[in-house]
Amino acid sequence: MIAVTGFGIVCAIGNNADEVLCSLQQGRSGVGPMRYLESKHSHLPVGEVKLSNDEMKELLGISDSAPVSRTAMMGAIAIRQAVQDAGVALEGKRVALVSGTTVGCMDVTEQYYQEMKTNDALLSLPMNNDCGKSTHDMASMAGLNEVETCTVSTACSSALNAVILGAEMLKNDEADIVIAGGAEALTRFHLNGFNTLMILDPEPCRPFDEKRAGLNLGEGTAFLILQKDCTQAKAYISGYANRCDAFHQTASSDNGDGAFLAMRDALAMAQLDPADIQYVNAHGTGTPDNDISESRALFRIFGNQMPEVSSTKPFTGHTTSASGSIEAVISILAIQHDFTPCNLGWKNQMPEGITPTLGRSGIQLSHVLCNSFGFGGNDSALILSKSQSGSPTPQSVSAGSSSITLSRCEIHSTEELAALKEFVSPMESRRMGKLMKAAILCSCRALKAANIETPDAIITATSRGMLECSQQFLDDIIDNDEEFLKPTLFMQSTHNTLSSAIAIRTNCHGYNITYAHGDDSLDWAMRDAERLIRNGCAKTILVGCFDESTPLSNEFCQRAGKPAEPEVSAMAIVLAAPNI
Amino acid sequence: MDELIHTLKTQIIEVLCLEEITPEDIQDDAPLFGKGLGLDSIDALELIVLLDKNYGIKLKNPAEAKGIFASVKTIAEYVAQHRTK
Repeated sequence: MIAVTGFGIVCAIGNNADEVLCSLQQGRSGVGPMRYLESKHSHLPVGEVKLSNDEMKELLGISDSAPVSRTAMMGAIAIRQAVQDAGVALEGKRVALVSGTTVGCMDVTEQYYQEMKTNDALLSLPMNNDCGKSTHDMASMAGLNEVETCTVSTACSSALNAVILGAEMLKNDEADIVIAGGAEALTRFHLNGFNTLMILDPEPCRPFDEKRAGLNLGEGTAFLILQKDCTQAKAYISGYANRCDAFHQTASSDNGDGAFLAMRDALAMAQLDPADIQYVNAHGTGTPDNDISESRALFRIFGNQMPEVSSTKPFTGHTTSASGSIEAVISILAIQHDFTPCNLGWKNQMPEGITPTLGRSGIQLSHVLCNSFGFGGNDSALILSKSQSGSPTPQSVSAGSSSITLSRCEIHSTEELAALKEFVSPMESRRMGKLMKAAILCSCRALKAANIETPDAIITATSRGMLECSQQFLDDIIDNDEEFLKPTLFMQSTHNTLSSAIAIRTNCHGYNITYAHGDDSLDWAMRDAERLIRNGCAKTILVGCFDESTPLSNEFCQRAGKPAEPEVSAMAIVLAAPNI
Repeated sequence: MDELIHTLKTQIIEVLCLEEITPEDIQDDAPLFGKGLGLDSIDALELIVLLDKNYGIKLKNPAEAKGIFASVKTIAEYVAQHRTK
């Protein structure tokens, strides 16, 4: 089994695991008025990490006055804690750092956005602002210079998918030690984005309550040290799965199909029955939509034998891409200290909803299920266990041979996009940015050439996602002073929006992941695809690599003396197992 | 009212990128969501922004907007009564 041998955490309820544990046991929420984030919407409560950027710099021993991302700094702090907690020597080992984030260094980008358009001294910022940059920064600030790094970006399930990837890398003998988790700082970009979707509650959030009215945004980070077959562990990872709801870009399906599949398949991997689970750390955002959908999915798994369930987001706020690893750490703390955290703020039973726990102590937890769901119905579930259930880590490296390529399609100009009509009606394509159109056209053509309607898995690589939408949204935040912002732009700014749109179109409920690790994104995507095929986890996989430029991004390139990038660049490949 | 209805239709077409539709294609009292024009929940959010930006009307949540967004006519009636700009 994969062992968690150490962890680090920084979030609204504590700057380390001890503080977090104390807050959880005392029922003390970290959500409150804005202190560090500067936004016009200051009436919205947030779950901020109680450290200023200067205090983080001091903790990390950074004396440089150059801009440093809050996301990367808090991530580095949690990584240092985790390495120390595990007490493991990294020298001479194959170490990988896998991080999940949605908008990476956006805090720095939005702060210097106007200035970088003219000031050459700040040119390095727009030239290095992809999600992968924040992972590189974390590694270097944490003093990990020799490690392999990778970044996944699947919106709010990012960090849990990083943990899943870390476990897979260990099972396939690609690393000796994996440091996996995620980090996300509060930004005006994110706050305004969620605000356009009208899912932010101006009051403290109340997940699973009949009168719930949305989420409180939070920030934070947690990283776990993962090792194979270790006897000295804080907990063991016994099962996991990532599945796709394939329903809507931001909403969950009525019956929580993706969530149900993720939990079912995680239980199957762990070889556990639902009755073996004593506690569920739910995704439980507090939005009307998520909580009813997740409740129904939980009932589909557990029936009337519902274990203790709580959402800990009233403590931390919804820490978006970092929530998966933060809540995995909270789940491990619950296992270690024999308690279930309270679902703060819950008063009124909602029809068809689960009844969350208000916290119990002295409860032995052998197996805990941790849910983490993201936009685009990117649903992941992780099972953490107190002890090793006998059998050693199944050796994933099989005799299976590598994949064959069934088809391949590329698009390099917007002129080709008119052909999208063949696959998508104008009513459906009207809101799509150019990269979305290119990605869908490319994918549909590749699948058609391979004679496949629904692939078993979709793996996407993108350095900067739908840059045009992100940039337009950022422009609007500044030009309109955080008002009149378009939800369509925010929705498409999320990197996994491409992968999700393709899943919806192809009705693919299988594994769905997006790598956003700069120029290495496609390598990671192909590596994942090969792993799935070799291990018999998928027979057909759609791998895509999509990026775009904007006039502004090319202006930055020009100023930096680099060649202009193509307006769109899309490639889709359909891979298959050789014996298909 | 007719002028407001026409203006709204033009604005809706622009904001929702309904490129292949003209104001004449939208009937005043035909449903906008579901079976009528076929708009979805994201369109509802975009319409809320439209009312805020152009008419100074702040709707608190999509549920409140549901009745108002039944047709262009219902939107026009609401705007006429509640506009602040």
